[in-house]
Order: sequence, then structure tokens, then C-alpha cells
Amino acid sequence: MSSIAPVAALPDAVVGGPDPLQHRPRPRGGVAMTVVLTIVAVIWIAPLVLLVTTSLRPLSDFIARGPLSWPADFTLSNFGEAWGIGNFAATYRNSALLALMKVPLGVLISAMLAFALSKLRMRFRKTIMFAVFMGLTIPIYITLVPIFIMLRSAGITDSLLGLVGPYLAFGIPFEVLVLQSFFRQVPNEIVEAARIDGASNWRIFWTIMLPLSAPALVTVGILDAVSTWNELLFALIILNSDAHKTIPVGLLNFQGQFSSNNTGLAAGILIAVVPILVAYILLQRYIVGGLTAGATKG
Amino acid sequence: MVAVTVPRSAAPPAAATRRRRRGGGLSPWLFALPALAVYVVFLVYPAVTSLWFSLTNWDGLSPSYDVVWFDNYVALTKDPVVLQAARNNLVWTAVTLVVPLVLGLLLAIVLNGKVRGKPVLRLIFYTPAVLPLVSIASIWGWLYNPQYGAINVFLRTVGLDGLAQPWLGQDSTALAAVMVPAIWLRTGFPMLLYLAALQGINTEMYEAATVDGATRWQQFWYITMPSLRPAHYIVLALSLIDSFKVFDMIYAMTYGGPGTSTQVMGTWMYANVFQYYQAGYGTAIAVVITVVALAVSIPYVISQTKEQSS
Amino acid sequence: MTSRDISRRLFLGGSASAAALYGLSACTGAGSSGSGGGASAPVSNELRLFTYEDDTTIDLLRATVKKFDAQAGTTTTVDSLPGSGAAVYPDKLRTELLGGKGPDVWRIWGGQIGSPFAKAKQAADLAPYYAKFGWDSTVNANAVAGMTFDGMKAGLPFIAAAMGAWYNKSLFEKAGVSGPPTSYAELEEANDKLVAADITPCGVAGKFGWDIMRLFEYLLETSAGPELHDKLLSGEESWDQPAVVDAFTKFKKWQDRKWIPEGALGLDPSDVEPGYVQGKNAYTITGTWTETQAILESKKPASDFGTFLLPTDHTPARHSGFVEGYMINANSGNRDKAAELLDFIIKPETQKSLQNTSSTVTGAEPDKTKLPLAAKWAEISKTSPFYVVLDQAFPKQQADQYFAVQSDILQGSISPAEAAKKMQGIVSAWVEK
Repeated sequence: MSSIAPVAALPDAVVGGPDPLQHRPRPRGGVAMTVVLTIVAVIWIAPLVLLVTTSLRPLSDFIARGPLSWPADFTLSNFGEAWGIGNFAATYRNSALLALMKVPLGVLISAMLAFALSKLRMRFRKTIMFAVFMGLTIPIYITLVPIFIMLRSAGITDSLLGLVGPYLAFGIPFEVLVLQSFFRQVPNEIVEAARIDGASNWRIFWTIMLPLSAPALVTVGILDAVSTWNELLFALIILNSDAHKTIPVGLLNFQGQFSSNNTGLAAGILIAVVPILVAYILLQRYIVGGLTAGATKG
Repeated sequence: MVAVTVPRSAAPPAAATRRRRRGGGLSPWLFALPALAVYVVFLVYPAVTSLWFSLTNWDGLSPSYDVVWFDNYVALTKDPVVLQAARNNLVWTAVTLVVPLVLGLLLAIVLNGKVRGKPVLRLIFYTPAVLPLVSIASIWGWLYNPQYGAINVFLRTVGLDGLAQPWLGQDSTALAAVMVPAIWLRTGFPMLLYLAALQGINTEMYEAATVDGATRWQQFWYITMPSLRPAHYIVLALSLIDSFKVFDMIYAMTYGGPGTSTQVMGTWMYANVFQYYQAGYGTAIAVVITVVALAVSIPYVISQTKEQSS
Repeated sequence: MTSRDISRRLFLGGSASAAALYGLSACTGAGSSGSGGGASAPVSNELRLFTYEDDTTIDLLRATVKKFDAQAGTTTTVDSLPGSGAAVYPDKLRTELLGGKGPDVWRIWGGQIGSPFAKAKQAADLAPYYAKFGWDSTVNANAVAGMTFDGMKAGLPFIAAAMGAWYNKSLFEKAGVSGPPTSYAELEEANDKLVAADITPCGVAGKFGWDIMRLFEYLLETSAGPELHDKLLSGEESWDQPAVVDAFTKFKKWQDRKWIPEGALGLDPSDVEPGYVQGKNAYTITGTWTETQAILESKKPASDFGTFLLPTDHTPARHSGFVEGYMINANSGNRDKAAELLDFIIKPETQKSLQNTSSTVTGAEPDKTKLPLAAKWAEISKTSPFYVVLDQAFPKQQADQYFAVQSDILQGSISPAEAAKKMQGIVSAWVEK
């Protein structure tokens, strides 16, 4: 049977699209589903609408009329204020730098380990898998003090560099597990065939495994970026000076012990969340872009 | 597992084996080393050092402590809060494991099929997962407010006044109330994973099945579900472990309260280590969390390290 | 060389050196005991101050510190965890102290929140500095007691927060309450009038426990009186007695008669406390910080609001209070300079410029024109002693156990008598340790 190779070139999932061989009803069913799903989506997103309306109203309006009332006044000033209060000029830069440093690196080394675990003969595979799993199960808060001590000895507390090590380490278990599961699905025959052709493991990794697993890599990358972006506790403990703080630490500024600047907080959250959403929008086509060559290579 | 037809003929077995043996040995370790090195230094070593403290009575602040061996573990079994926390963990796990998985699967299937506006919908369902925890706690705090919160207001408008109650302020409903936003934000990940997995299923199988007269339901059960098995495993394993460890969500929404009704092992551990100056005891709780989670994940690890039967 | 060999080399080289570096640092740095013992930092002109100052006032502190630096020739870094960071502040402080990189000076609450640091010998004994700078004569003695543990003066308090009722005048008028109640019975009457006028009387919230606790401890003072109250807090007297049961009964009554917001247990203090300014509740129980944080923030005139001492029907009429102060790192190499910095901060002029409305320092009372209500409290504090806030009187663990009892009784799962017994169990277990 010949493969449907050109699928890879088409942007959105044609995989589920109409096919002359099928006797299924025409896309009429699609509209009904869309409507149902849209209603569900609206309910799903409603709490976030609350976030948006809160960010667009003056604080006095919020306090006077309560969080769930429709704003009497609209304003964009919260965003400007929030930018200052949350120190976003610095925290944005820091969070972005951290994510850019950490996420590609983390995905790469996790993919390498996943490759070794799933496709290469390796002794102690079970032990390593267990050890990786252990990383998932341990509550990370107990590692705070030893890590702090280590970083302090290396002189990298209060710097983004100091965060990279722990962040990488905490991302590894999850990424390795997801990736090795995807890698296992790549048929051994392909790998064998490449070996027979004389390819080294390294080349197999770069030219076969990674491309075939692109959806998985992107998925894992997005998830990693989100947790790096939102990580609070370690950033709080390791970083000190305002110049080095990351976004979640900056968001603490909006909530006092005894009162909260809720409208500023809402604006601040939206500011903080926008890059991730944008990245997700841009990247989601790769997750579902029909890169199904792996299943059908002939 | 994905079925594949590979028309190319394989090389003679002997040569392939020889090459395989040479490929093994050092090479896999080179791939593994960077990740393992970082992992050991920044996770394994600190974790093991910390776990040692469960055998002591360290308060978490003084320079000195005594070794008390298993006293902490014995005290654990008699602690009523630990019992309550463990029970809460079980309930929490059951709900936040099953519901997001089912929802995520449903959404993935629908979003993989004939629906319009997929990118927007995908974005909407995933967005909660992207929010910082502080926002989730704030928003849902407002929604749950007994007087003006949307939920109670809605109930009163439709005449269900009796159901309007202080969701976060009473023992009977607090945990359930926190589970709702947890599901809301944890559905995105399975959805994403299932979407990626669904993309990898060979549509030719569906075509062949249709030609053979299989109904859509049969196709779902006999083609889709088995193909998704690896994805199921991951989602189950990760959700399971996450549920045991849960801390941030509950801490942010109820702080373990009212009283101790929403305490889970994670929050109780945190309280003991970081706030009660009982680092030794708290670490013992952490050890218990770890051991239970590890035990539960054994079947998964075994399945993943079995010789591949692609 | 094939690309494979090169990359293998890179791997080996990179990994090996990275591992070595981390291994080395791990060996030298980590130890089962924090490196706090013994090794003091060398004397230098650099100081680090760590605080949880709110963002609205941190600049004032930084300016003050700069002034000190100019005259003392030091360089001081000020790190702060504003807002809700205060909740995790002790964790960060603790981690830094354990890691051997603690600040030279840090701010901390008194009572049982600060005492662990003294007990663990992380805080320095400030007695020599008290003598040298004469702090005993300028700083409120009760406050100093709040930061003295086992006879050691471990901290220099600069905040003696007094808590009382802060109310919205127009809401009182609307309900027909003529003015601040002068007895407990009058307070109950006022509450009923407010409820009749469809106004929630007392805005307190239970999310972390300590806000609603303020109501209970006031009721305890009213039922038990000053002496018994103190003995209860120290464990000298049993909690299983009629006065305590009476306090718990009153506590439940406040909820049953709807004198506190519906579902108060699940509400967040930061949402509820400013409610009296917003017209949502008639009054709340809080301290003088509310004048800056809530009243001034709302831009409403201070004359719209008032404050009064919660009537306890006892003499002396006490109020609940707590202390915050600075501690010096016992292992700092710059203790003398740190003490100079503290002395600078504690000067009355500095306290005023820092807008400290609850200063412990004589001569630093709040400005009557700018902060009239806080100034009123400075007057009240001169004659009304304070009892320590419950969650500072107890270590956090016992305080949390109290919060559980508080939660149970408000939800009706235990009776006042049972609550009293439970408290006795909690306190006696603590005292025995």
C-alpha cells in the first residue's frame, strides 16, 4: 500500500478529513459538534473573562461594585501601573532569558536520554528508569536547602544561572518519560534500516528520531516552558535582588497581607501570560500538523 | 501500537547483530550522560541528603540535631492529620486522575475530527493550564464567594437557593470545591498529549475497517484506544504521581483549611518542614509520599522497560 | 575525524568538567549541619538587610539606608519580599541562614515567630547594643519583652501594632448606632442593629486563621479578664474552664447571629478587611496600618471613619497587639555596623520619615493631621496594655491546631465545652515539651 506522504505538507489535520473511500456522512455533523464544543468552550473560558474584565476596570470600580459585576468604567491604566508594580521590565527579561536558556537545552538532553533508554541497548535501563521516576515522586521542596547550599558554594545564588541547574533537573523526569514513550513507537525497523546503511547513533538521533517525534518534542517543550515561566518557590528562594527576579516573584508584589490590588494583579497576570499563549498559538500547528511520516514511511 | 508495513527487505541477520553489538556499549551512555549528570547533581543528591533528615529530629534551623532513627515514622502512624491527609489524597487522586483524562480524551477526539475553528478551540481548552497559580486561586476565590460569587448567584437565580453555600468555608465541601479548578486546569495536558498521539495513528486502518463494515464505535474501541495505549500510560502515570504530590493548588486556595479538612500529604509535609520547625518529621512525610508514589508507578516502569514489541 | 568522534569528545570533556565542578562545590558547601556554626564572615563595610516591607514604603526604607551609608561609610543592600511574599519570608530567611548566606540584619515578627531563630542561635544577643545605644529608654518596654526570649534580648522591635475596631461612620449612623460601644453588651446591641439594617457588622475572614482569631481572643479577654488570659496563653491555667467555654460560646454566637460575614471561614482577609472602607462591612478588627493601606488608598477622608478600643469590661482595658523588629545575624562579621544601622533606623525622626504608624519609639507618634486615627491609637496605647496575639503567643504548630478548633466550632462540629477541652489538650502538650 502506498503511503500518504504529502500529508506532512498540509497545515491542519487533514488526517481526519473527508476521504472518497469513506461512506461517512458529509461535514454536516461537523457543524453540530462545533456548536456544542463552542458552548462548552465558552463556559470553560468564562473564569478567564473575569480576569480580563477585572484588568480593564479601575480599582475603585472593582472595590465598589465587586469582582463579578460588569465594569461601569473601562480603563487601560492598570496595565501601565502593573508594568511598574510588577517590575515587568526586569522580570520579563529574566523569565524570557531563563526559558530560552533552559527549555531547548532541557528538551535536548531529555531526548538524548530518552533515546538511549528506548532505542539503544543500555545496561541498567531499569535502574535508570526507576531513578528518573523517583524524580517525579519526590516533593521538590525538600531539596531546597541542599540545592541552596550547593549554589551558594558555586557562587551562583541570586543569578539566573543558578536556577538553570535545578530547573533542568526537575524537568528531566517528566520529559524523559514522555519522550521515551513516543520514541518507543518509532518502529525499530526504521532504526535498524538506518544502521544497516551505516548511520551512527548520533545521526540516527538527529535525522530520524527527532523529526519523527516533532509533535512530542513541541508538546514537551511547551509544557516545560509553561512550568519554567510559572515556577515560584525556587525563584523566590534563590534570587534576591530586584534586577534578577522572575515573573512569578514579581506577581507577589500585587498582593498585600491585608489588602490586594486585584485589578493590578489581573493586569499583571495577563501581561505575564501573553507570551506563553502566543508561543502556544504559534507552535500548536506542529503538534497537530499531521507530521505523520513516522507511521507511514515506506 | 502502530502497525506498519515495511516492504524493504531486512539485511541478513548476522551482519545486523554484529553492528548492533558495536552500537551498544559506550554510545548509549554518551546520550544519557548530560541528562543524568544534571539530574544526579541537582535532584538525586539533594533529595537523598534531605531524606536522611527523616531519621533525625532536626528542627530545620539549628546547626545541630540528634538521630532518632524511626521515631518519626512511628509518630506518623499516630498523627490524626496524617490519616486525614492520606484520605484526602486518595479522594483527590481518584477524581483528578479520572476526570481530566476522560475529558482530555474526549476533547482530543472531537478536536481531531470534523470540527471548525480548531486552533481557537484548542487554545481555549488549554489556556487554564498556562495560568500562574495565584490567578487561579484569586479567580476561583471570587467565583466561590458565598455572597456575591458567580456560582451561588447562579444557583439563587435558578431557584436552587438551598444549594448555595460557603463552598470553601466548610469541611464538607472544601476539598470538592478545590478539585473543580484543579480539573479545569489539568485537562489541557491530557488533551494535548492525546492530540499528539492521535495524529500518529494511521488512517489507513480506519479506512480498512470501514470497508470491512465496522461501526464508528467499534473503530474507536478496537483501533483508537489500543493505539492510544502509550498515551494512556503516560497520562495515568503522570497524573497519578502529580496527585500524590499535590501541594500548590491546595495551598493557594485553602491553605489546608478550613481547619485541616483540605490537608493533603504535600501540604502537611510543607507545614511541618517549613513552618513548625520539625524538619525531621516533615521529611518523614515526604519519604512516605515518595515511597507510595514509587510503588504505584512500578507497573508503569516495568511496562516501559520490557523488551520492545513495537 | 568523523563528526561522531568530535561530538563524543565534547561530551566527555563537557560532562566531566561539569560534574567535577558541581561535585567540588557540593563537597565544600553541603554538610548535614548548616555552615552557620563558627565560621563568621570577615568584617567589611557591606551590610545586607532583608525585610518584607510593602512596596508602598520600601523606597522610604531604601532612602533611609542610603542616608546611613553616606554617614557611616558602608554599603548596604536592601532586599525585600513585598506583599504576600511575607508568608514565605521565614522560609527564605531560614534557607539563607542554613546556607550560610544569611543577611546581616533581618526583620521578623516577635513572639513565637521570632523565637525559633533565637533558640537556634541564629540571632545575636543584642544586650550589649541596648546598653551602648540606650535603646531601653527610647523603645517601648512591652515591645522589647516581645522580642526577648529566655532572657536574651534577641531583637530590636520597631513596630508595636495595636489592634482594635475600625468602623465606617455612615454605616453606623444608618443603623442607628450612636457611637462607639463602651461595653461588651453595647457592642452586641450595635451588632443587632446593624444586622437589622442589612449591614454585615464585623468583617473578619478565616482563610489563614489569624484574622477570625482576632475576634476570638477579644472575646477571651472579655470572658477571662487580663490575668487569666495571660495565664492561659502561657499554659499556667487550664483552658478547660467556664471562662473559656463562655468565650467559645460567644464566638459561636457571633456567627449564628450573622455578626460576621456568611461563610467567613473560607474568605480571604485581604478581600474582607478593607470592607469597612468600601461600605461592605460596618467595622473590622485590625491595626493602624489600615489607615495607610485602606483609607488613604481609597482617597476617602479619614473623617468618614473612626476607631475604638474593643470594650472588654475589665480594668485595665487591654487590646491585642504584636511586635515586629529587627534581628542581627549571630554569624555576621559586621555586627557592630549592623547595630549602628539599627540605631539610625530607630531614631524618632527616622521612624517618622519611614511613616511607621505603630512605632515603638517614643517621639515617633504618627502625625495627627495626616494620620489622625493612627495617632489616636498612639494615645490609647499609652494607657492600654496589650496582650500578645494568639498566633504569636503559640508556636505555629499550636496556632494551627487552634485554627482547627476554631474552624470546628464555627462549623458546629464541636460544642464550646469540647472546644475548651481540645484547647487544653493542645496547650498542655506544648507546655510539656
